[in-house]
Amino acid sequence: MTEKDYNESVLLYADNVYRFIVKNLRHTEDAEDIVQSAFEKLWIHKDSVETQKAKSYLFTVAYHLLIDHTRKAKRISLQESFENDTQRAYQENKALKKVLHDALATLNETQRSLVLLKDYEGYSYEEIGEITKLTTDQVRVYLHRARLKLRNYLISPQQVL
Amino acid sequence: MQNINQHNYQDFLLRYIDEELDLREIEALLAFVAVHPAVGEELESLQSTKLDIETIACPNKAVLYKNIFPVIVEPTTIVYPNKQNLFKKEKEKAPVILLRWWAVGAAAVFIFIVARNGMFNGEAGNGLSKNNVAKNNVVKNNSVKPVTSPVNNPINNISTPNDAIVNTGSLASTNVKENQQNITTIPLQSVGIGDLAYHTIQNASTVTASEAEHTIPSYNGSIIDVKPTVIAEITAAPITLNEAAETQEPNETIETIDTEAASSNRSVMVGAFEIDKDKFRGLFRKANALFKNKENNRNEK
Repeated sequence: MTEKDYNESVLLYADNVYRFIVKNLRHTEDAEDIVQSAFEKLWIHKDSVETQKAKSYLFTVAYHLLIDHTRKAKRISLQESFENDTQRAYQENKALKKVLHDALATLNETQRSLVLLKDYEGYSYEEIGEITKLTTDQVRVYLHRARLKLRNYLISPQQVL
Repeated sequence: MQNINQHNYQDFLLRYIDEELDLREIEALLAFVAVHPAVGEELESLQSTKLDIETIACPNKAVLYKNIFPVIVEPTTIVYPNKQNLFKKEKEKAPVILLRWWAVGAAAVFIFIVARNGMFNGEAGNGLSKNNVAKNNVVKNNSVKPVTSPVNNPINNISTPNDAIVNTGSLASTNVKENQQNITTIPLQSVGIGDLAYHTIQNASTVTASEAEHTIPSYNGSIIDVKPTVIAEITAAPITLNEAAETQEPNETIETIDTEAASSNRSVMVGAFEIDKDKFRGLFRKANALFKNKENNRNEK
């Protein structure tokens, strides 16, 4: 892809990648870093990346950066402190949405990423499998488990009360 | 297609939420839900897990762009002082009239016809027939006053320039010895083609240029450019009556010069027309001059 194609990808996909990451991490600054890293990688490999596959390439890179970031965060036990520190947290406007995103936070990174890629980006099982390096069946099974977990969270007595 | 039953319907519901069913599977699932209301409730609860698409703008997106720098160029107003002098107005082109070959030919024919008509008219006006001119039979004209007729009448008595010209034949007939001096060349046209130019005057009296000089009108149609001719001075001694009587014979001898041969050499037969070469040449010279003038004018423009 050319420089022009790259800049066009920024215009078209930066918001989508950012949304995918920030919904996973619930941390805007970390999400910005990951998005920037993803696009930096695209810029470096722009000669070998086809323009038509730029979006899936960005999500693939962002997903793996997300996994790396989460694993690193787990190691230094910063996960709990994200919501309490001074960094900005993603603001939910509606109560129902807030509950859903709380439920989303209960999923592991893989399940959450699958849900986000499916619902936000509309990728098929196959495409998600390409991004996450999972088979189509794995994507389908993991995604179904995530849905059931979300549903169970939403209909749990605490949420109803 | 796999049939939907109590054991596998949940998989159908989840795939329905994920929009992974084809049309036939969707129809079958909706039919199954219609039969089993509990499955419908479960479908609604699963649909609530689907995330609504929301738009989140990436902050600092500008840092992601590569090699795009906003270029702000402050407008600098520099006014060229003599701008008015630079304006140009295109010259109006003169209409170009293309000369076609047929136009040139038509013009030439027209000029030729006009010239020819004018020539004949002019001859008719002079009262000279073609034959007369050709044969150069000099007819005694009443207006001709022989030099010798009045005794003691000097040749100076030739009263008018016309007389002088017309009388040249008469003068020649007197066999006046050549008193040399300047020989007068008379234009061909003024005396007719046959009246060849040389006339000698024996014992010629003096004919001054002022007397002899006359202006011969140009020919109609301007075929031949006849300019005023100056008949040069003819100095002559006074003629005495005796001498004149001696030299004069009772019957004037008119020297006849047959110019038929000469005229035939000059004429060219074009179809039924007999055309004088000189006139024809003059015609083309005129036409040529006209075209050259036009060409020069065009070049100057």
